[in-house]
Amino acid sequence: MIRSAQHDERVGAPARRSHRARLWGLPLSLPDLRVDRLSGVYVGLVLVLAYSFTDPTFRTVSDLRVIVSSQAITAILALGLIVSLICGVFDISIAANMSLAITLVGWLQADGHLNTTLAVLLTLLTGAAVGVFNAIVITRLHVDAVIGTLGTSSVLAAIAYLIAKGNDIFAGLDKGFTRFGASAPLTIPVAVYFLAGIALLLWYVLEHTPTGRYFHAVGANEQATRLAGLPVVRLKWIGLIVSGTVASLAGVMLTMQLGAASFGAGLPYLLPAFAAAFLGSTQIRPGRFNVAGTLVAIYLLAVGVHGLQLQFPGNPWISDLFNGLALILAVALSRRSQRRRAVAGRI
Amino acid sequence: MSEQQALRLAGLSKTFPGTKALDSVAMDIRPGEVHALIGQNGSGKSTLIKILAGFYQPDSGAEGRVRGEPFPFGDAHAAHAAGLRFVHQDLGLVGSLDTVDNLALGFGYTTGFGQRIRWRHQERRARRAIEELGHSFDVRIPVEQLAISDQTAVAIARALQDWEADVSLLVLDEPTAAMPLPEIGRFLATVRRVVARGTSVLYVSHHLGEVFEIAARMTVLRDGTSFGTHDVAALTKKRVVELMTGEAADGAAQSRTDTALGERVVAIRGLTGRTLRHFDLDVRLGEIVGVAGISGSGRDELCDLVFGGRPRTGDVELAGTTLEPGRPDVAVARGIGLVPANRHRDGLIFPFSVRENLTLPDVSQFWHRLMFGTKAEVGETRRWIDQLRVKAPSTETPVESLSGGNQQKVVLGKWLRVKPKLLLLDEPTQGVDVAATAEIHSLIGAVADEGAAVVVCSSDEEELARLCSTVVVLRGGVVGAVLKGPDVTTPRITHESLGVDRDTTDSKLARDLIAPVSADGSITT
Repeated sequence: MIRSAQHDERVGAPARRSHRARLWGLPLSLPDLRVDRLSGVYVGLVLVLAYSFTDPTFRTVSDLRVIVSSQAITAILALGLIVSLICGVFDISIAANMSLAITLVGWLQADGHLNTTLAVLLTLLTGAAVGVFNAIVITRLHVDAVIGTLGTSSVLAAIAYLIAKGNDIFAGLDKGFTRFGASAPLTIPVAVYFLAGIALLLWYVLEHTPTGRYFHAVGANEQATRLAGLPVVRLKWIGLIVSGTVASLAGVMLTMQLGAASFGAGLPYLLPAFAAAFLGSTQIRPGRFNVAGTLVAIYLLAVGVHGLQLQFPGNPWISDLFNGLALILAVALSRRSQRRRAVAGRI
Repeated sequence: MSEQQALRLAGLSKTFPGTKALDSVAMDIRPGEVHALIGQNGSGKSTLIKILAGFYQPDSGAEGRVRGEPFPFGDAHAAHAAGLRFVHQDLGLVGSLDTVDNLALGFGYTTGFGQRIRWRHQERRARRAIEELGHSFDVRIPVEQLAISDQTAVAIARALQDWEADVSLLVLDEPTAAMPLPEIGRFLATVRRVVARGTSVLYVSHHLGEVFEIAARMTVLRDGTSFGTHDVAALTKKRVVELMTGEAADGAAQSRTDTALGERVVAIRGLTGRTLRHFDLDVRLGEIVGVAGISGSGRDELCDLVFGGRPRTGDVELAGTTLEPGRPDVAVARGIGLVPANRHRDGLIFPFSVRENLTLPDVSQFWHRLMFGTKAEVGETRRWIDQLRVKAPSTETPVESLSGGNQQKVVLGKWLRVKPKLLLLDEPTQGVDVAATAEIHSLIGAVADEGAAVVVCSSDEEELARLCSTVVVLRGGVVGAVLKGPDVTTPRITHESLGVDRDTTDSKLARDLIAPVSADGSITT
């Protein structure tokens, strides 16, 4: 308590390093490249350039289109995930939720003979209900979020199995449903439009509404947020419900795109979504999970994987390896910048 | 010098940039004596202990000897090797483990063939260590289930367990802060056992009653300077308070005079928490009520209880309506603001900028036509930064990079912005430098003058004397005294906090100190 007088002078983070340098004695002024925020974009560009030079099969425009559309569903899932991550709760059940949505939306149409709109609505509602269930487990039963949603995942997998007996559902899907899923207005797959819509909506809510600000506050310091008079529990409920609903939407999108309800098809999306969310938290707004950063991360990872697969064809394990390492690296990076900020601001 | 002192310090100074925490302090501790170290908060006690523990390096020129041998400062291992042991206020035990395990942590288990832990041997050793300190309890139950005095004994046993290595000095840092009064007598008996082995004890405490009971001599610190080592027998408690505060016990009044008191806006009835019992308080608009008390008196939980941050019984009434307990959001909506003692944990969102922290309670005010009025928010933040004189390079600076005083101003500003009816302040200037403290004090005064009711809980008696027109002094969870007007002085508050003048309390304490303990270790109250 005696030792704080000293620090009054060194208030504030160090100013951003100037990018002015002298080149052979001439004043050279580089534009501020914001390397700290946009490193992912640069790395991505370098990868694209490198691949297109070294590999003749990597034809930039068409390949990029493939990458963009193939990653749309991962991106939707990741965006749902960051909403709960921002609130400080890990929602691991998103992938199982997505799997359940796939099976459910197929089964409701094929065996339930419901009309498409109703089937989709019911599926999304189920996703929201999973969010409510998670919220009860976490905020009422006080189960740690990781453990609680891990449990939820297993329960959801069981329910999906009960519904479909572990089978894929091919027949009985509404023709309009699958046609819509395979459509590509202006040569861009419909999933990309959905992604754009969700990204815009979440970006707006998370960055430009009080609720978004409160989400960030809860995730950063729950106790201080509670003592600032904000309804912490309600905010977590909303976060989990959003991530549950978006996860089920990702499932519906995948079913639409494939034209079949492939059993358990959501699970492989878990790791890429987490990798993108964490890598994304080092981009655009370092230190915070954010929509734009997550999109940058998704496509950075996709370019990396795609390029490697072209270089070493016939090695399907590459994407698992790459995503796994990327997740570890991303978390390590965000922890490091956290520590740096803490040191820079030590009192 | 015929006798080697257990510890001898001379010319011990410690300068932190901006403040001198210790100024050429000298003291010596005799072998086998209980030596008390007394002083108000911020007097330099903890700095001195941290220097002994090797945590801080003192300024050059300091001299230290342990049993005549030169003592190297700033080296925790050397301090250990010289036979210095420390038991801190939070005992550092693992609550879910039993005594045997807690003793073995950091010391190691004795193992037999194949690295098997020799449990029976281990258990016997633990029991012996505990019995040596005059305690007897089951060493196989988790320590968190033990009485606090037994837990303290475990911590002491752990500190002393390699006593073959000849422990020269055991430092007990506020050992009774969290201890219920009836257990203190047993604890002091434990300390006597330690001294009987020839180990000296440096006893740091706010409780003068205990100090007079157990210590042979005491050293008084005030503002980093030693005000002498005295034989306890030759002192009165009144004299000790004078030495601690530097003021005659009946010093001149310097307290605030409230300008115009408004209506009664807060009525607290029968408020009960973990320590605090049946607390009543009225606060009127424009009034600053102080709450004093040593740690463990209930002072530290009062603000949180009123605000609803932790479970309570009893009623808190604001402007005629009763507040729901456990609902900080309701409290804020009804016009209560809390500046918590721990701003890092409870007061600020560290990665957030000054702007985001300042506007957090009512950021929706800036949200018009579905967008944030960023300009308005930044403008408002800038106004408050100027008004509070926060030293921050910009509104977007993360609060974690501000100094303690500036962080505290942001916490305060967060509530001043929303113009609360009742502002609760818990240790408002803890860890804040002198200049910022003065600024924060004048801000608090201004809030009251503008017509808010203010409650300040503080362990800094001087702060209370300066700020408040009324000071409620808590002792052991209940109101010990209410000081008003000219009685609100630093020495009076200190007196009442320590319960010095109350003969009744003293004799009660004395009675409690010898509270009978039944054979199974439980305490009869």
